[in-house]
Amino acid sequence: MKNQDISKNRYMNPYLAGIGLGLTLLVSFLVLGAGLGASSGLARMAACMELCVARAHTLSGEYFGKWGQNPMQYYLVFMLVGTFIGGLCSALLANRMKLQIERGKQSTVRLRTAFALMGGILVGFASRLAQGCTSGQALSGTALLLTGSFVFLVCIFAGGYAAAYLFRRQWND
Amino acid sequence: MINTMYQLDTLDSSKAFLAALLIGIAFGFFLERAGFGSSRKLTGVFYFRDMAVIKVMFTAVITAALGLTCCVVLGIVSIEGVYLMPTVYGAYIVGGLIFGVGFVMGGWCPGTAAAGVASGKIDALIFLAGAIIGSIVFNEMFSLIKPLYDSGQRGVVFIYDTLGISKGTFNVLLGIAAVVMFWGCEWIEKRKTSQSLGDNTTVLKTVSVAILSIAIVLVAVGSGLPSSRQPGTTAGIISSESQLLEAVEMAEDHIEPEELADRMLRQEPGLIVVDIRPVVEYLGYHLPNALNIQMKDLHQALIPYKNAGTIVLYSNGMTHPVQARDSLFRSGYTNAYILTDGLNGFIERCLTPVSLRDEILPKETSDKIRAWRALFLGLAAPQETPDTPDVPPSDSLLIDADWLEKQLERADTKTLDLRGQPEYNTSHIRNSLALNVENLRMNLDGAGSMLQPADMLARHFSAMGIRPGDTVVIVYGDKTQDATLVGIALERLGHTSYRILNGGFAAWKSANKALVSELPEIVSSSYPVTGTDNFSVDYRTVLEYVKSQKGIILDVRPSDYYSGSKSNEARAGHIPGAINRPYTEDLVKVNDVPQFKPVEELAKAYAQIIPAKDSMAIIHCRTGHQASQTFFVLKRLLGYSNILWYDAGWSQWAAKKELPIE
Repeated sequence: MKNQDISKNRYMNPYLAGIGLGLTLLVSFLVLGAGLGASSGLARMAACMELCVARAHTLSGEYFGKWGQNPMQYYLVFMLVGTFIGGLCSALLANRMKLQIERGKQSTVRLRTAFALMGGILVGFASRLAQGCTSGQALSGTALLLTGSFVFLVCIFAGGYAAAYLFRRQWND
Repeated sequence: MINTMYQLDTLDSSKAFLAALLIGIAFGFFLERAGFGSSRKLTGVFYFRDMAVIKVMFTAVITAALGLTCCVVLGIVSIEGVYLMPTVYGAYIVGGLIFGVGFVMGGWCPGTAAAGVASGKIDALIFLAGAIIGSIVFNEMFSLIKPLYDSGQRGVVFIYDTLGISKGTFNVLLGIAAVVMFWGCEWIEKRKTSQSLGDNTTVLKTVSVAILSIAIVLVAVGSGLPSSRQPGTTAGIISSESQLLEAVEMAEDHIEPEELADRMLRQEPGLIVVDIRPVVEYLGYHLPNALNIQMKDLHQALIPYKNAGTIVLYSNGMTHPVQARDSLFRSGYTNAYILTDGLNGFIERCLTPVSLRDEILPKETSDKIRAWRALFLGLAAPQETPDTPDVPPSDSLLIDADWLEKQLERADTKTLDLRGQPEYNTSHIRNSLALNVENLRMNLDGAGSMLQPADMLARHFSAMGIRPGDTVVIVYGDKTQDATLVGIALERLGHTSYRILNGGFAAWKSANKALVSELPEIVSSSYPVTGTDNFSVDYRTVLEYVKSQKGIILDVRPSDYYSGSKSNEARAGHIPGAINRPYTEDLVKVNDVPQFKPVEELAKAYAQIIPAKDSMAIIHCRTGHQASQTFFVLKRLLGYSNILWYDAGWSQWAAKKELPIE
């Protein structure tokens, strides 16, 4: 318990971090004219990989195909790279950089890995369906007061709380 | 006033990429600072263990929302300058629920996982790999998912409009909700961990007061500035539901067919006519110069015309245009109208010939109807010849023997027979002229088999008595591409009124139509040269496309030549990035003679290859002959607007060793 308190205190005050994040988003609105985004960058990478394997098939596809022959030439790809760099800076400064598979002490690497992979697949798919993820829709879209983004946000929490019980074992200490 | 990169359409510039990178760095930094580089901390919210997600997220949302409202009120930025995502209820509800399950299962979302990888979390890397797989699965299943992807499409909708309250009120309610939630989160955490609030309370108190006071100040300022209260609109026009209904009641939302016909006849600048029917119907018939935009693409495609000029939407009837128009109105379009009674009504009210009308019309009206019919049906009024011949509707570009038989006597119909000289001399269609297509080609800049320059072609056609207003009917022997090569030669002169007898000479013969052996009498003409065409490109342009990858390169040679397994050129293979669609795939053989496949079938096939009607595509083959056929299919039959032709083709490309190949 004691340990956890210390590690928790090392994080920035959540409200101040929220203000920092909000100002970042505001700058994005003012400069780019678009909000933050992460899943698009991933999808572009996915399109790029598919292009390498099956070029004609990908280009003729209705979804990835419309991104053309060079899907990586897109501002959100650069934003995703930036997110990684920013995270790296912060982690190094706070001395939090540690190679690990984060899980509960009672949980196994296998379970945690399987859940992370499956969860990733669901999130990757859902982000395309909803044209954005927690960054593009739930954060940026709600800040723009868009109805669809609020609906998406509410559904994320509904889905998350409904399924939380099923996946609790990975965090058992 | 700031012009955003979205507004300036420079989001694809290197400046935008740098800005996005820097913004991403700040994003990642704060995510990690907040502790979101840990999946355990992130998922804490779902087990009421750690409520940081809600605290950080809502503070960020409120900060950005209030900040942006301030910027709009102060005139620093216009809300039109920010990309607003459309609301798609079905897709977002299902997407949100799946996302939530994936989030709690995987322990990450895409942005936090990037920060997680940066702090050494292997599970974050696995999660991201999963997300990439998920995206690919989505792409592969897209045709199946599409109905859901588009279901409940509402265009850009603001939450305060949905709730029927003002933006200011919503901001205050959001502020109150956030503050209540924050204190609730602290209470939950305190109970769970029996931890004191400590420093958090000072910050929280300050934040709570700040949020509420800024929201309230904004309401006060907002009520003093009514025109800036509602984003998404301009010039004080408020796009609320009641305003929308009022406009509908006042019949301000539609335009009568006669009015549209007149305005189109006048060629009113800034008049944008949009056909929202499926492509196939559009290709069958559409009002001249109408854009074909599907419902789901309207918001995106009409941005350049927002509140500039007049947008008129039409379909066959009224339902879809009404929905589309209302959706545009909600997004702040004040210049979108629907065509009363749709295309059906238009045809009935404007294009019914004078002779078939019950009432007796004043001369003025009947003249007008004749002018409309001339414009919209391509029926030239007898006394005047139009300056620029209209391109005939695509379904009549390919004609049959019956059609040709009826036209044969007309002085403005010129029939060209492309079979060999002996066959022609034996028997041919009356008044048809023999033409060897190779006579339209020559060696240019070292490349053999190039289509001749416009002035030479003009002399050639003049000698055959072809005049600018004529309809040229092309009858091929056994090669459809011969017909389209003549077609592209005519196009070089700007002559678009040509038609092809589908099935060629064999179709005429099998219909048992009359044949003669005497030669026609020809009065040579003087075909004017207007300059060069705007669709031919040389290897330099192709090379630019290869480098910039901004368009599609379509190689229509047989696939074994494309792959390089067969070759009779300097090098084997294809231009880097080129897509192969052999020209023969557009044809079907009837009694061993090739003819074009039905337009619907071609439209379907090419929709898979070329994303949009205005996408750039360069067509090439070995010498330009086969490519002329695909050019005709895309540009004339299917209505693709940006089709280019690389005449010199693979023979030149392969011979220029400095050019890259694949």
